[in-house]
Amino acid sequence: MKQLYMDSGRGLFFSLLLCFVSLIATAQDRKVTGRITDIAGSGIPGATVVLKGTQLGTNTTAEGDFSINVKSATDVLVVSFVGYKTMEVNVGNQSVVNIKMDDDISALEEVIVTGYTVDSRRETTGAVATVKSKDLTATPSGNVEQQLQGRVAGVTVITNGQPGTTSQIRVRGFGAFGGNEPLYIVDGVPTGSTDFLNPDDIESTTVLKDAAAASIYGARAANGVIVYTTKKGTKKARKLSITYDGLFGVTTPGHGQKMLSPQEQADWTWQAIKNDAFQGDSLPKFTNIASGQYGSGDKPVLPDYINVGGKTGVTGSLDLAAEKLKYNVDPTRGSIYQVVRANKQGTDWYDAITRVAPIQRHSLGFSGGGDGSRFYAGFSAQDQKGILLNNGFKRYAFRINSEFDVLKNLRIGQNAQFTYLQILGQSGGGGGQGVAADENVILSAFRMPSIIPIYDEFGGYAGTAAKGFNNPQNPVANRDGQANNSGFAGNGFGNFYVELDIISGLTFRSSVGAQYSNYSNRGFNRLQYENSENNSAYGYNEGAGHRFSWTLTNTVNYKKAFGRHGIDVIVGQEALNTGAGKNQSSSGLNPFSTNINYINMTNVSSRIVNSDFYKGVNFYSLFGRVNYTFNDKYIVTGVVRRDGSSRFGSSNRYGVFPAFSAAWRLSSENFMKSIPFITELKIRGGYGLMGNSNNVDPNNQYSLYGANLGLSSYDLNGTNSSALEGYYRTRIGNNNAKWETSITKNIGIDATLFKGKLDIILDLWQKDTKDLLFQVPITASAGYRASEPSVNVGKMSNKGIDLQIINRGRITNDLGYELNFTAGVLRNNIESLAPGLTYLSSVNPGFRGINPIRNQVGNSISSFFGYKVVGLFANKQEVDGAPAQDGAAPGRFRYQDISGPNGKPDGIINADDRTFLGSPVPKFTGGINIKLTYKGFDIATYMYASVGNKIFNVSKWFTDFYPSFTGAAVSARVKDSWLPTNTNTSTPIFESTSNFSTNTQSNSFYVEDGSFFRMQNLTLGYTLPSNILGRLKMQKLRVYASTNNLFTLTKYQGLDPGVGGNADTNFGIDVGNYPITRSYTVGINLGF
Amino acid sequence: MLAFVAVLMLIGYSCKESFLEIPATGQLDEAQLSTKKGIEGVLVSVYGQLNGRDNRMASASNWVWGSIRGGDANKGTDPGDFSDINPIQRFEYQTTQGVTQDKWKGLYEGVARANLVMKLISVAQADVTESDKKRIGGEARFLRGHYYFELKRGFNNTPYVDEKVDYGTGIEKVPNTADLWPMIEADLKYAYDNLPETQDAAGRTNKWAAGAYLAKAYMYQKKYAEAKALYDLIIAGGKTTNGKKYGLVPRFQDAFKASNDNNSESVFAIQAAANTGSVNNANPEFDLNWPYNVGPNGPGNCCSFFAPSFELGNSFRTDATGLPLLDGSYNSGGNELKTDMGLKSADPFTPDAGRVDPRLDHSIGRRGIPYLDWIDHPGNDWIRNQANAGPYTTKKYAYYRTDVGSLQDNSSWTPGYTAININIIRYADVLLMAAEAEVEAGSLEKAREYVNLVRERAANPASFVKRASGENAANYTISTYKTAWTSKDAARTAVRFERKLELSGEGHRFFDLVRWGTAATEINAYLTYESKKLSGALGGAKFTPNKNEYLPIPQDQIDLLGKTVLVQNPGY
Repeated sequence: MKQLYMDSGRGLFFSLLLCFVSLIATAQDRKVTGRITDIAGSGIPGATVVLKGTQLGTNTTAEGDFSINVKSATDVLVVSFVGYKTMEVNVGNQSVVNIKMDDDISALEEVIVTGYTVDSRRETTGAVATVKSKDLTATPSGNVEQQLQGRVAGVTVITNGQPGTTSQIRVRGFGAFGGNEPLYIVDGVPTGSTDFLNPDDIESTTVLKDAAAASIYGARAANGVIVYTTKKGTKKARKLSITYDGLFGVTTPGHGQKMLSPQEQADWTWQAIKNDAFQGDSLPKFTNIASGQYGSGDKPVLPDYINVGGKTGVTGSLDLAAEKLKYNVDPTRGSIYQVVRANKQGTDWYDAITRVAPIQRHSLGFSGGGDGSRFYAGFSAQDQKGILLNNGFKRYAFRINSEFDVLKNLRIGQNAQFTYLQILGQSGGGGGQGVAADENVILSAFRMPSIIPIYDEFGGYAGTAAKGFNNPQNPVANRDGQANNSGFAGNGFGNFYVELDIISGLTFRSSVGAQYSNYSNRGFNRLQYENSENNSAYGYNEGAGHRFSWTLTNTVNYKKAFGRHGIDVIVGQEALNTGAGKNQSSSGLNPFSTNINYINMTNVSSRIVNSDFYKGVNFYSLFGRVNYTFNDKYIVTGVVRRDGSSRFGSSNRYGVFPAFSAAWRLSSENFMKSIPFITELKIRGGYGLMGNSNNVDPNNQYSLYGANLGLSSYDLNGTNSSALEGYYRTRIGNNNAKWETSITKNIGIDATLFKGKLDIILDLWQKDTKDLLFQVPITASAGYRASEPSVNVGKMSNKGIDLQIINRGRITNDLGYELNFTAGVLRNNIESLAPGLTYLSSVNPGFRGINPIRNQVGNSISSFFGYKVVGLFANKQEVDGAPAQDGAAPGRFRYQDISGPNGKPDGIINADDRTFLGSPVPKFTGGINIKLTYKGFDIATYMYASVGNKIFNVSKWFTDFYPSFTGAAVSARVKDSWLPTNTNTSTPIFESTSNFSTNTQSNSFYVEDGSFFRMQNLTLGYTLPSNILGRLKMQKLRVYASTNNLFTLTKYQGLDPGVGGNADTNFGIDVGNYPITRSYTVGINLGF
Repeated sequence: MLAFVAVLMLIGYSCKESFLEIPATGQLDEAQLSTKKGIEGVLVSVYGQLNGRDNRMASASNWVWGSIRGGDANKGTDPGDFSDINPIQRFEYQTTQGVTQDKWKGLYEGVARANLVMKLISVAQADVTESDKKRIGGEARFLRGHYYFELKRGFNNTPYVDEKVDYGTGIEKVPNTADLWPMIEADLKYAYDNLPETQDAAGRTNKWAAGAYLAKAYMYQKKYAEAKALYDLIIAGGKTTNGKKYGLVPRFQDAFKASNDNNSESVFAIQAAANTGSVNNANPEFDLNWPYNVGPNGPGNCCSFFAPSFELGNSFRTDATGLPLLDGSYNSGGNELKTDMGLKSADPFTPDAGRVDPRLDHSIGRRGIPYLDWIDHPGNDWIRNQANAGPYTTKKYAYYRTDVGSLQDNSSWTPGYTAININIIRYADVLLMAAEAEVEAGSLEKAREYVNLVRERAANPASFVKRASGENAANYTISTYKTAWTSKDAARTAVRFERKLELSGEGHRFFDLVRWGTAATEINAYLTYESKKLSGALGGAKFTPNKNEYLPIPQDQIDLLGKTVLVQNPGY
């Protein structure tokens, strides 16, 4: 038998199933029916009725009726529905149970879905947050994870405006130097990304934050677990329920940064030369400045043409007919000859590359069920264009979830989704989240001088081929060049499960889940002519790949109440593979014809083909949880999970992660019952361990060697046209690496006051990660091309406070309100690194020679590091009197003398004087959700704030200094730059010199406050009253209009303060961030 | 039920060990490399590191470290582009300078790869013969000697690590206190003693290259007698790996031409190849060093780095007899080379009509002179920022229009990638070093003979840059030293100046000046002169003696290994 299941999880699954069939036990069930009504007595359709402690449940029909099988008189029904208070009803001997639900559900009464279990909030001892499914649809985003921003206390979300982008999602801080992404569980199946999910398909979202809640996911829980379940349908639904949710809108690009007009740029170019002369104590010479575009006189003159067959600074009129005969923009036909008129009004390049971008989303949902079955089918389409040209996101998703009662005590079910996903024109590493750190087209828009028009006189692109403007590339040409690029991913995701009630209270569940995805893309690089630095070949590339991952989970759950004792036990086993597959990519040059229908990989020259195969990571885990409740007052939970992973060598492959938590429901104590305003009060405490291995390469245990054409080949034979393969060490292995462990402590209070009008959920938490796995830098003398092994040293701490306050009520009978406030306070600190190591010297990203980051003990991750600017030198006397500083001169940065070789200021500014300049980790993030309902109208607003984070705005290097790329566009900020006559400023002198005291060093000039407050959403909706709906034979009709990102309050000077990154050791750096901008949408929700 | 759970867990337990073993894909382990084929493959990667791969600063071409610091050129381009080089040319090195770390890391990568070869030889499988071991070991030790030579003259003493130390066996504790020269000599000596004269692949090193490198190492230590003895043997019997007796190619420019790679002058060169699938095989370290915005009319297109200096241009001025102005008067008055500084390309300009060494127009691209087989250099139109860079563009390692697509590689962001081998030692360098050794030995006539060999080749009229009409592009006037040098000093001056002219832009100058002990005087004189022309880039710069001869040990390495293991160089 061993051979059978050795190779695949499927084998294991079926063998287990076989074992299991023989174990089917029978239990006597009996049917209970009833009707769920609201206070007024009308039936509530779609309410959930669950047998407490099981996953057995049903939904009410359109009239509010339900029918469910119960096993014993002690069974309890849990009835829940959005907008109503969850109720628990003892079945007793009744066969008909009619339940009247109170409205104004308290957050503390809701159901918590952990993936393995469904718990009631009342009995939860861990730190858990839920997000309402309608909140996920409030703002249209391509990736549902973005909707967590400000919705969950303690979850930091830094995102950008690209449709379909991934985001930096961090649950309770940054536990490690990398791999801090939370674990996503969709219908019980773990996955790395949830971009395929249609928000309208989602039934519940739960965030497990501390060890007590998340340790059931053991080794993969350290970064928090986000659990999504999709809609299920209702057994015995009398009729099919159909919903349609549609949304239409536009995203507006807003405005770019203020840049100098053509005349201003000419004037400031002249000013730079004057400033040079001032510094050099000489007379300014204006010959050959900007390649003569502005003449050579004492005053710059705007030319009429900036490029006439290569001539610059041409004034007067031209014989365009004659010029047209010379015109050529095809590099394959000889010299380029363009005629480019100066755009004296100035081109707004940001405006030129952006657009008002349409968005639409349509979701159709069908749900229903028969006597022994229920189902949900959803079809959705989302088409969201980006504000950049040729940038967009499309998703078509088809979901089908079903469940059947095979026997009275045996159920089978499945969840499946097939998705077509297309993201085009995106930039930034890590699926888009790294966009801010890229020199991308948005930066190009701020580097292109406004005097350059978009097009030349005869329809070709204009650009820096007109000399004197340095090397920015025409960003419109760049975006247009992507018009024919294509690509998509196909994704199948789902699971199949069996549930068996062995005896009363004992349920076995087995689930096999899988995800298969494939992708394909092709792209073209046009031959350029318009720029100073052009592509000299026409390029073509293709890529494709596939990936398959699977998860097998078996659990046994036993739940029973004995008098005042309640016990809930789950044990389980899980095996999974994170995904095996293949990537292939190829590229080539110069096809005979550039007709895209002609081009394929066969028809190009200089082909380069690459592929890689990967096997993924295997996990094997056993876990268990015991939940004991005494007298509905005292709750104790113990969780333990043992995980083994193929990421680690045989000696340290397993990790055991236990957690303990307890809660005391004070409100059940008699002495509390006299306090009238306390409805529910619970104190929780938890302590536990969680593991993490995301930050370790699966090959970490091996010492490896490899060949790389770019890094190790050589033309040993002197052929001039080929290179032999060479082998070099690519990785140094560490067979002893083991799990990172996060120790979390959590104390929380759940309170419901004033009969559900006020909920308060407060958590104080601390998460200390030890045995931090990271690539400890090793001496360069061992060779820097080999990846350093990850070694378990170092500690990181995260501390914080999570707070959620919900206040709801009715001001009058018709006017209801709800106020939901979430807040998270976070402090991240690197406690220790390897012995003798004070900072991660291996993480030192450079941005045009500026290295802004240092991860050092005693500071937060990704802290900014450099020289502190204390001001600008006022004059030569100040320079002479100041500590020695290379390149010091009036108007340039004066750095603070902080230290020297002996740890004291030494009168010399050098590397010893660098210091910490801030951290990109927000100290506080929070959201406020306000909702008012008046009769059929609802108005809701949702605001988000991020406070205390800094941004390293290195885009200023490009736009605020003349010598960075002399001649390129200049920010309007330089109008306030230092002059002998304008010394009260922080903008340095605008001059040619590039040195230690001007633009070359990481310093506090680039560091800005990144705090912001944004109104994310404002929605006005109207729901038709039920009497009209009845006449229309409809369940629901709501129309709404909303605006997103109406305003953002920030001091940040860049386009958008949402500056993330795709590496935790290295984020918050703004080179060319893709902004989140205002959008307007209208929508309709229909139910039949 | 408990029994059931137990069964469940047992089932899981029985299969999990192998379930949790997943091998690496697409990679090799050490055992697979200890065959002959494997070790040969690792040796390829040691050669492969010579050009620094995508780390421009680590290349043995030393365009920044040898040429820019030596005054052959300035950084060129814009002040802000790759601004990390600005402090290097101004001798304001910070210990945190990224480019300095790049050099260090790239060289040690070469060392590490050579050490891997040596280690694999010690555990080689049976198919590796003793003679294979000698030959492969000889090549690996030659290359290790080269990487340490570069470290030595760059940083002075650095940690010496060989195949006996590695990660986990104390490599991080090796200090930088020991003198590297004996180890460099030992490696090169081993290579000289064990390598064959010729080899099956032109790109391999051989006995004579090892001899020439060893002699160079002697010269750096002022061991002139040892050097001279070796040079005598090399000049008498040396041949290239592909069997060509050492000799100067007839035309100067043909030493820098892809189609003429591995010629008789090529003692040891970085083999470059175009269109291999990666431009890292095609002189990636030169990708920025091309005339700017040339369109289809010129090579490269980007980014105007590595602009030859006014001072170098002037140095090519010759007197009526065709000899250089050894008194330094080339930088003054009417001797300065006429340039188009401050002129637009549309402004009229006539190139200098005075006497110049013909090597000028092979070494420096200047206005009005044919740029290889492209067009006449248009001046400012090909310069990115004349005020910062001056009027010249680099030319020595430029590719020809006729090479486009075959000996040049278009597959990356710029077309500036070529198949031109970069000389690490060429025969002219050997002759001029031999001449130095002869001067120090007192045999001035022998020295003059060697120098004249070099000058005779330069004087070959067939090598002069010509216009379409067949006329010489400039007033080329050059002759050999016809009369004996009157003193050792005079001889030294002439030999050293010849090195400057012959080898300009090839990464030697700074190291020569330091080796001669004249760095402070010469470089400060250069900076004083040049900063009047390029005040923005070089104004106020000065070379500090007993400090700037060597780069600082990279701060991140000191921070990592500790101040007691890595001792910072004096002055930093």
